[in-house]
Amino acid sequence: MTEIITASLVAILLQNSVFERALGINVLIYSARDMKKTAVFALVITAASSLGAVGAFFLRQHFGTEKYYSIFQPLLFIIIVSVLYMASLFTIWRVSPSLFKRIRPYAHLSVFNCAVIGAMFLAPRLTDTWYAAAAYGFGTGVGFLFAGFMLRIAYSRLHSELVPKAFRGFPISMLYIGCVSLALYAFIGYSTTI
Amino acid sequence: MDNNNYQLSLKTSEGYVRKNLVLSSGWLVGPVAAGATDFSNALVISLMFALITAPSVILCRFISTRLSYAVRVPIYAIVAALLYAPALLLTNKLLGASATDAVGVFLPVLVVNPLILSKTQTRFVHDPPLRMLRVLLGYIVGFAAVCILLGALRDALVNFSIGWLPLSPPFQVPALETAFGGFLLIGFLAATFRAGYAGLARLAKVRETAERKK
Repeated sequence: MTEIITASLVAILLQNSVFERALGINVLIYSARDMKKTAVFALVITAASSLGAVGAFFLRQHFGTEKYYSIFQPLLFIIIVSVLYMASLFTIWRVSPSLFKRIRPYAHLSVFNCAVIGAMFLAPRLTDTWYAAAAYGFGTGVGFLFAGFMLRIAYSRLHSELVPKAFRGFPISMLYIGCVSLALYAFIGYSTTI
Repeated sequence: MDNNNYQLSLKTSEGYVRKNLVLSSGWLVGPVAAGATDFSNALVISLMFALITAPSVILCRFISTRLSYAVRVPIYAIVAALLYAPALLLTNKLLGASATDAVGVFLPVLVVNPLILSKTQTRFVHDPPLRMLRVLLGYIVGFAAVCILLGALRDALVNFSIGWLPLSPPFQVPALETAFGGFLLIGFLAATFRAGYAGLARLAKVRETAERKK
């Protein structure tokens, strides 16, 4: 249990995919206009990264020592993610066509996302059990939601006419994300493992 | 320059100027902000991005648009992931395996970059082949320019060198090596770039009005 909680908290705070590794920023900025949209993205990312991290964990256990594993790793990850994506879209389409309609425009953006691939890459390296890997993947999604919430609450100010035109929108959002990231770095000091 | 040529030149330059992937669109911020922490990492990321993206987009253009995008997107990602292996081997040969190892997670994530997954289906499949190549080249050059510029700047201010060239800047900023340093740099650079571009556009408009009056 401790392992699961630790892995989740590490992924949410100390190794937040957005603030510490800048993964999934484009999707975050795209979805920040609407909290509901951010929540849908986060939900899909959480599901994909949790299941994907478990898949990546077993892949590493079985093939991790193979000579060419690192070269073919992205291909194996994409195959896992593609299977998850198709299977979940099909299931949702059969179970709830209205939900399918709602999530269809965002599904590919959230599943084939840097945050998901990043979680699949990092979880097997940072955890020792499949459930801790799943917890790390879960934490990645929750961390994305946390980052989305942080950006959402500042959205109107970051796009306000009070901000000079050159900085309005994307540039000031980067500065804001940088400041939040700086605050989170205080927890771990100034070292980044990439 | 006649109007058609002017429009074409605007479209082909959009990737490195008007719609620069990092500074205008906010795409691929991750590899630049947290991955390109020095000149060597920036070179590796730029080269890998070019080697994966250019052939992927060209190959994905042949995938029928009659397929639903729910099917096309995974195919695009698989094509890019298939090209990752030769791209990595070539980069290892050109820049060294230790250089590619240092970039870590930021290389595998390049296979899901939005230029392949989104721009191919919304833009590239509709362009004539030659124009597509020119626009694509613009995006790749634009990304590489920003990535290498930031990598070199961080290398100079953190390690007192740009690649193998030693420098002696008047001050050191070790925090630029971190992700938050990358975010702040991108933020300031994007604002400068936007102000500069808006200034140039205004100047061009003034000149155009003056020429019309003549």
